[in-house]
Amino acid sequence: MIPVEILADQNLTPAEKAKREGLKLRKPYVAQKLANIAAMEERGEISPIIRLEKSYLCNFQCTHCSAEYYMDRHKKKVFKIEDTRAKIDMDFVRRLSKEADELGLARFVITGGEPLVMKDFDEVVAALDPDKHYIITDTNGWFLDDERARHLKSIGVEKVQLSLDSMIEKDHDEFRNKPGSYKRVMRAIDAALDADLNLLLSTVLIKGRVKTQEFIDMCEFATKKGVGLYVSYAKPTGSCSDHPEFVIEKEDADILRDLEKEYSVFTHMTPTYGSFKGCITVKGIITVTSTGEITPCPYIDMSLGNMRETSLKEILARGMRNPWLGPYRPDCLIGEDPKFIQFHAKKTTGYTQLPVPWGQGFSDKNSLTEDII
Amino acid sequence: MQTTEYFDINGRCIPHGITSEHHVKTRRYFVFEQPEIDYNTIHARLVKHLGIENPITAQEFAKRAEKILEKLREDPQCRNILNGVRVPFMLPVQERTDIGECLEQQYISAVKASFEEVFSKNSFTNHHKDGLTGKLSIAVDSRHERLIAEQGEQLVVGYYFPCLMEYAVPAAIEQTGQLPEQFILAGAYDTSAALVGSPDLLLRKSGYPPVLWLAALDSEKSGVSYHYEAYGYNLTFNRKPHFDRVAESWTSGLVVLG
Repeated sequence: MIPVEILADQNLTPAEKAKREGLKLRKPYVAQKLANIAAMEERGEISPIIRLEKSYLCNFQCTHCSAEYYMDRHKKKVFKIEDTRAKIDMDFVRRLSKEADELGLARFVITGGEPLVMKDFDEVVAALDPDKHYIITDTNGWFLDDERARHLKSIGVEKVQLSLDSMIEKDHDEFRNKPGSYKRVMRAIDAALDADLNLLLSTVLIKGRVKTQEFIDMCEFATKKGVGLYVSYAKPTGSCSDHPEFVIEKEDADILRDLEKEYSVFTHMTPTYGSFKGCITVKGIITVTSTGEITPCPYIDMSLGNMRETSLKEILARGMRNPWLGPYRPDCLIGEDPKFIQFHAKKTTGYTQLPVPWGQGFSDKNSLTEDII
Repeated sequence: MQTTEYFDINGRCIPHGITSEHHVKTRRYFVFEQPEIDYNTIHARLVKHLGIENPITAQEFAKRAEKILEKLREDPQCRNILNGVRVPFMLPVQERTDIGECLEQQYISAVKASFEEVFSKNSFTNHHKDGLTGKLSIAVDSRHERLIAEQGEQLVVGYYFPCLMEYAVPAAIEQTGQLPEQFILAGAYDTSAALVGSPDLLLRKSGYPPVLWLAALDSEKSGVSYHYEAYGYNLTFNRKPHFDRVAESWTSGLVVLG
């Protein structure tokens, strides 16, 4: 029988294979961990990407932002409160890196907020340890010029996930509430590619957009550029709570699945590299918030535990035994399942300090068939 | 054996007397839509794509299949199964051979041909690239050996019921042993034939359909099984570790032969 890691490699394009070979030479430990993922999944172990939200500072105020409710500006303006909870520091980041490494986890995404406004961005990368983990950063592209892109590469960042919300300049700028942002994204694309950073374009799919020429244009643009277009469904959380009309229907998701045949476009549930995880809550992704809470998805504002009190290993185990989060499911839990959306809304309503702590939202008592109201 | 009904009002097999993982209650989020039962069309697809030589007529196929339903209807403990989704199928005579090899060479390609003939804009993909020869065997207590034995002697007509919804694979096997003798846990040929005859079985536009396990078959590795699954408007065959756990989207099928 062919080993699972080789089977996974069979699904790679020549360009992806070349990138993996390059990584193997530069960072053999990281490359080996990435190669181990398929075998880990075959053994029933999980290897989630860890999104690190150390800071929520941001120079944008986007219509669909999932992190807006975590931001100090929102708490001050809307709730008239200050967040007095202890924030994570570099010692925490180092501990997170170590615990993740011990579990064989291999990938970190520095996110926010806008990571490239963080004064301690380089220090965070160093604390995560780019020789032990594959480091990715999210960005809105505003500050990503040639010099910054080369700098990111030099400190060990491997990949940039760049947000682009429309191929129509005016629409992108309006959605992002930032004139000039479209032009900056275009500049950032070239800067990232020129600096030999791996690049992913990231876009939010609101209801009906998948049927527009603009979306097809974006798919074509990404495919011609040779970069992947990661599509995130608009979720009814964060700033999008005020826009329930953004939430997609199954038809949107199904049309997108068909576009995957033609374009370099995918969602978090697209089967890739021989891995067919479906919804990736816990199994494929977790988020660490600025207060050390771990949530199972960037859009679910309920914690599985705080790493100051509980080990990463136990927090992941809580997630995997939760009936909403652990079992395989082909749809997006927070983006498509009406009952979970209702459950999430009920549990998070009234909380000014997100995420909802373990035991008050998620708990070991959760049931798929419990009454919501 | 239980003395009350075996199936609930929606046709789901009611979990009873089993210890393996399963959901006692279901919110029916991952469900099937009943395909149209047109015996002539289903018969024609099965004959064409499975290459059935010397087939029975469509009328005979319909008569035998309907007789299965009639018997179930007469049984107060079992008749609720007819409230759920079901599709008739037919299997060619087949001397016992390697199940994995036969599935790969004959049945999966028949599912693909039938699906893509009906849904020309969509596709069927076999994501399992590592071959199936020598990898599948009949699970103990699945009763599936009866279907294989009958198929070795004559053309088989049956009805397929994807009614073991939200059962772990071991639970589906365990539950089958608690049911009346006519129920057999579905494996490779019957599940595939159900999809050849009714290629829209896993097509659902308003919501998500379940994953369809070939639960009657042990694979080359404990805790791993093979399954059919929709991907949007497309159909796939794949292999997945299930680790004997249950998921809301997992379903196995029962068959009754006639």
